[in-house]
Amino acid sequence: MAWPATAFAQDSAKAYRIFWVSIQSQPDPFLDGFREGLRARGYIEGKNLALELHFGNPHALREVVAELRRGNIDLAVSSGPATRALTEVKDIPVLFALSGDPVALGVVESLGQPGGNFTGSTFLSLELAGKRVELLKEVVPSLRRLAVFSNSNHPGEQSEWRATREAATKLGIEPVYVPFAGPNELDAGLVAVGEAHADALLVFPDVLTMVHRNKIAQFATAHRLPSMFGWSEYCEAGGLMSYGANQRATYFWLATYADRILRGEKPANLPVMQPTKFELVVNIRTAEQLGIDLDKSSILFRANRVIE
Amino acid sequence: MIRPRRSLFVKYFTTLFVAVVVPLLLGSATEAWFAFRDNRYDLDELLRVEARSAADRIQAFTDGIRDQLGWVVQFPWTQGEDDRRRIDGLRLLQQVPAIVSLSMVDPTGTERVFVSRVSMNRTGAGADMSEDPAVIGARANRVWYGPVHYRRDSEPYMRIAVAGNRAAAGIVVADINLKLIWDIIASIKIGDTGHALVVDDSGRLIAHPDISLVLRSGVGAGDFNRLKSEVSAADGAAVTTTGEDGKPVVALSVPAPNVGWTVIAQQPALEAFESIRAALWRSLILIGLGIVFALVLAYWRACRMWGPIRQLEAGVERIGMGQLDHRITIQSRDELEQLAVRFNQMAEELAVSQHKSERINRLKQFLAPQVAELVEHSDQRLLDGHRREVVAIFGDLRGFTAFSARAEPDVIIAVLREYYEAIGAVTERHSATLIRFAGDGVMVLVNAPVACDDPAERGVRLAIDMQAAVQSLADSWNARGWAIGFGVGIAMGPATVGTLGWHGRLDYTAIGSVVNLASRLCGLAEDTQILVDPVVTGHVKGSIGLASIGERTIKGYDHALEVFAVARTGAPVRRTSPELDLVS
Repeated sequence: MAWPATAFAQDSAKAYRIFWVSIQSQPDPFLDGFREGLRARGYIEGKNLALELHFGNPHALREVVAELRRGNIDLAVSSGPATRALTEVKDIPVLFALSGDPVALGVVESLGQPGGNFTGSTFLSLELAGKRVELLKEVVPSLRRLAVFSNSNHPGEQSEWRATREAATKLGIEPVYVPFAGPNELDAGLVAVGEAHADALLVFPDVLTMVHRNKIAQFATAHRLPSMFGWSEYCEAGGLMSYGANQRATYFWLATYADRILRGEKPANLPVMQPTKFELVVNIRTAEQLGIDLDKSSILFRANRVIE
Repeated sequence: MIRPRRSLFVKYFTTLFVAVVVPLLLGSATEAWFAFRDNRYDLDELLRVEARSAADRIQAFTDGIRDQLGWVVQFPWTQGEDDRRRIDGLRLLQQVPAIVSLSMVDPTGTERVFVSRVSMNRTGAGADMSEDPAVIGARANRVWYGPVHYRRDSEPYMRIAVAGNRAAAGIVVADINLKLIWDIIASIKIGDTGHALVVDDSGRLIAHPDISLVLRSGVGAGDFNRLKSEVSAADGAAVTTTGEDGKPVVALSVPAPNVGWTVIAQQPALEAFESIRAALWRSLILIGLGIVFALVLAYWRACRMWGPIRQLEAGVERIGMGQLDHRITIQSRDELEQLAVRFNQMAEELAVSQHKSERINRLKQFLAPQVAELVEHSDQRLLDGHRREVVAIFGDLRGFTAFSARAEPDVIIAVLREYYEAIGAVTERHSATLIRFAGDGVMVLVNAPVACDDPAERGVRLAIDMQAAVQSLADSWNARGWAIGFGVGIAMGPATVGTLGWHGRLDYTAIGSVVNLASRLCGLAEDTQILVDPVVTGHVKGSIGLASIGERTIKGYDHALEVFAVARTGAPVRRTSPELDLVS
């Protein structure tokens, strides 16, 4: 979205306080896109904007919520699972970027009219879950057993698993659910994947798996598992394929809503944005390492980007 | 002095003011009107071009999708080609970003292939779609455009169905994400803040630069429907109405016919009429300046006109009051100055004339009224010296010398005044010329300078009246003990008459023996007697009784002259006074 950058933010003497709330500790891959978007809108940290970063597990975030209620905060921005922790916040606008369905999470009444103090963006991972299985099956026609690696702390994760299971069953694939709860269980989760005897690996897009995308991609290659992810960053890190919206563009765009809310618009009237474009990214090097001939399928001509 | 009810100043001022302001107002109003019209025309044109461009691009968008869909329904369906069709569908998705999913329906109406960006693909005999309005519509019209619907209560979608040339080619039904029209609409900028938007036939928003308005799943459709119907009612002309944000806008609509949508191009009225407002302000400032200028100019001009006129008026008033030395100074180098000069000349001439008139009035007191009259009326020829036949009458009081020696001066003056009054009255009555008083003596001329009929008789009758008047006075004087009488002598003959004297003092007089004769006869006359010479006697003897008193020797005459006396009517008044001085 190309809203014209205005001088509004510079003119204002007020310095806005924005809370950035995330489960994951630094480095936060989504924060960069959001910061970039804010800069494009004329906000400069330290001058007219104070971006206060709060990371931690759901328990630690409860204190952040208390602080949000006390402090003079203009806006809270949450990504992924942290949104769940903020559902209690009612009097401060909250922007979210969710893989799952915000209606199901209960933070908005509908996508078109959020109706409350929450709005933001959904990546529609739920709908795409089946699509990812289908694409993986096309590249690996011999796929019978699929390991599904998921951060169980992620809101809406169960729905995503259900959708994935249904799609897999429809395609005659046996899904093996490998959940892990938070960063501490990630390594153990990977070990479990290795022991699942799967033909391929499907990783749910999530801030945690995003941060550890290199480790997961290397693990998959090492175990000769064709891997499917939600965002292109995974693919750039060595994953075989990814299909989903461009999260960086989404966070960049999220800053537009931040700007409009700081100018006084109500989140209740700002519809939850859904991605229009889904990119299919394929990593040919990984394919070669895994010995997969991509030319046998229609995947290459359908790919938006091919990493060679 | 009467003040005029409507001052010239006000009239002149008003006329000048109106003369400047009315053309200025007309000019400004005309200019403003044309500026308004041109601006309005330009605005219409701008909005029309933008709306048309948007409509064309939307048309191109839907036509492009329709054409692309046409590719997959070119060949008739055959057995076992579902997979090839699936690849066709995937390629189409790759080609057309707006297509989210598409269903390929075989000639029987059964869905055979379904490909999607988000949902899972399906191949093989699927649902029966023969009753789907898209399939029915495409079969009927080859191309079918579905209504706009909002997926997940947010994003606008539309289905487009295309049938092949032959029924055997089947039908393809595509689901289109209309969010992609946003690029077309967002790129349209009208002025600084104007924009275009697209609504469907029920007023639901399909595209708007602020996409968040579109994603509200038709909320506010009432507002947009009102906007659409108001703007569409204008039939392609721009109308001023209320925009979706409640602010006044100038809007124009163009239909996108194949999909039944309406493109509305609008610009906030505040911005659209900016240049009109600027033009109006310019005109107003010009009018203001013009009015001030006209006021100053009219006031100055009116003052320049009115001032001299007031000066002239005051001048006339003062002249009227007799101040003939009053002069007016106007230096306007125009007709008014000329008028002032004329006025001054007139005053000067009036002064001269009045001076002359005063002199004549003064002169009249000294001159015989007839002479004064001649002087006044400038019949100077009669006053020039010439000879003519005149009747000279002399009279003087008898016994006055003795009286004046004894009487007090004021008594003498009083007596003389009565005497002169009487003489003057008689002379005037007979239109004779009183030449002079000399103490108790008086000289009167008849037939000079003004000629008259029968001067002799007139002279005699005058003498009789004169004698009677003085005698009546003399009776009263005698009653007071003053022995005063009166004698008269008349002679007629040619004499030289005219003005005589030097420039400081001129007298009208007669010179000739007739004057001497009359004087002598007067000297000879006794109290109450009127002595007449033979010439006069010759003229009047028929009408007035005259008696000869015999011949008398007259000084200056070689031989004696017969003298006549006017016969007394009634008993002669014989005064008892012993001392009648018969010589004045």
